[in-house]
Amino acid sequence: MSAAAAAVEARDLIHRYGARRVLEHLAFEFAAPGVVAIRGSNGAGKSTLLKIVAGLLRPSAGALSVQIDGRDTPPLARHRWIGYAAPDLSFYPEFSAGENLVFAAETRGLDAPPRAAQRALEQVGLASRSNDRVAALSSGMLQRLRLAFALLADPPVLLLDEPGSHLDEAGRAMLTDLVGKRRTTHLVMIATNDEREGALADRSVELAGRGLGDPA
Amino acid sequence: MPTEASSSPAAVWAILRKECRSEWRTRYGLNAALLFAVTSLTSVSFAVGRLGDRPDVLAALLWVVLLFAALASLSHTFVREVEGRTMTLLRLVASPTAIATGKLLFNLLFLAVIELVTVPLFLILMGAPTPSWGPFLGVLVLGSLALGTGATLVGAIIAQTRGRAALFAGVSFPILLPVVAAAVSATRAQWSGGSVAVELRLLAAYGVALLAASLMLYDHLWED
Repeated sequence: MSAAAAAVEARDLIHRYGARRVLEHLAFEFAAPGVVAIRGSNGAGKSTLLKIVAGLLRPSAGALSVQIDGRDTPPLARHRWIGYAAPDLSFYPEFSAGENLVFAAETRGLDAPPRAAQRALEQVGLASRSNDRVAALSSGMLQRLRLAFALLADPPVLLLDEPGSHLDEAGRAMLTDLVGKRRTTHLVMIATNDEREGALADRSVELAGRGLGDPA
Repeated sequence: MPTEASSSPAAVWAILRKECRSEWRTRYGLNAALLFAVTSLTSVSFAVGRLGDRPDVLAALLWVVLLFAALASLSHTFVREVEGRTMTLLRLVASPTAIATGKLLFNLLFLAVIELVTVPLFLILMGAPTPSWGPFLGVLVLGSLALGTGATLVGAIIAQTRGRAALFAGVSFPILLPVVAAAVSATRAQWSGGSVAVELRLLAAYGVALLAASLMLYDHLWED
């Protein structure tokens, strides 16, 4: 398994929701390969940071760059290089798990979309439920589907927001395995407060946001 | 590994197919639009009878029905992504321009299906004179292109706002009014034996302007 050389750099990154400051003057630089844990209290901005990295959110100030093979990627094109799984990622309930992934693979321009979808489902142990409608999946299966979506294109950067939520012990073992397999080739960023997920990382960022303690 | 294709025609085509399959399975907008068109035409037909000698009323009625059938459904392509919380998924697999272009093509296809049912029904129920088919179809095609493009752009803009249903109608109205006015005028003219060249040029120019504005705006709509 090989991946393009990826690096993520934040410079004086600031993000606010209205008057509420979430990320304040954040600076870091991480290059692949490796696993980075993003820690912080509830509301500290872990999910916000991953959304900014994914290009889903524009920072209020400062800069965040994602470099692939030494070239900066514009936020709107970042989806080509990033796999993203988060609790707020939803799928089309009228489609099956497999159909959702085939659609994602077709839209991303992958070769042989059905095969790519099947491979991703196998990696998360969901291949046997490929034909089940998303509306019929349990919360644990939905979480596996989110992980399959992130793995679909084997992107060089993986952003996992609370990846172990709703997973049973077998699911957590699968998560440990898939992160472990990418430790020496990819850049994996995990937003978590879970000790087991945090233990997968070899580096970490501690967000000192105001969290729930100070809404100012 | 991803390729450069994610904002390409392949992405647009995939989104168009997804929209068609989703609509086919849910009938989210089609049933509502067709029901509106059929019930409104039937009601007017019963209320005022056949209007074969009133091309001015016929033209206005045809485009009012098409306009409201469109308004009832065309914003749904974006709104259901927001309400179903699938917009994040879409943004992670395609550029905003590819997403919006795929949805625009779906809306144009949707309008064509609505018109395939509504227009023959209208001609029969209202006792309309036989149209001059060339100009009539020209007005329908160009009017639908402008209508679909304008409605798609407004749908994309209002999708993430509160009170989006009222906003859609309010914002669409001034943008689509020139389309409806030109289309009504041309439809009336073709029944009266007049020229429709000026209106067709206006509809084409307005449609192209809306499309150009849309393609410039789409990448900036969902940045936050």
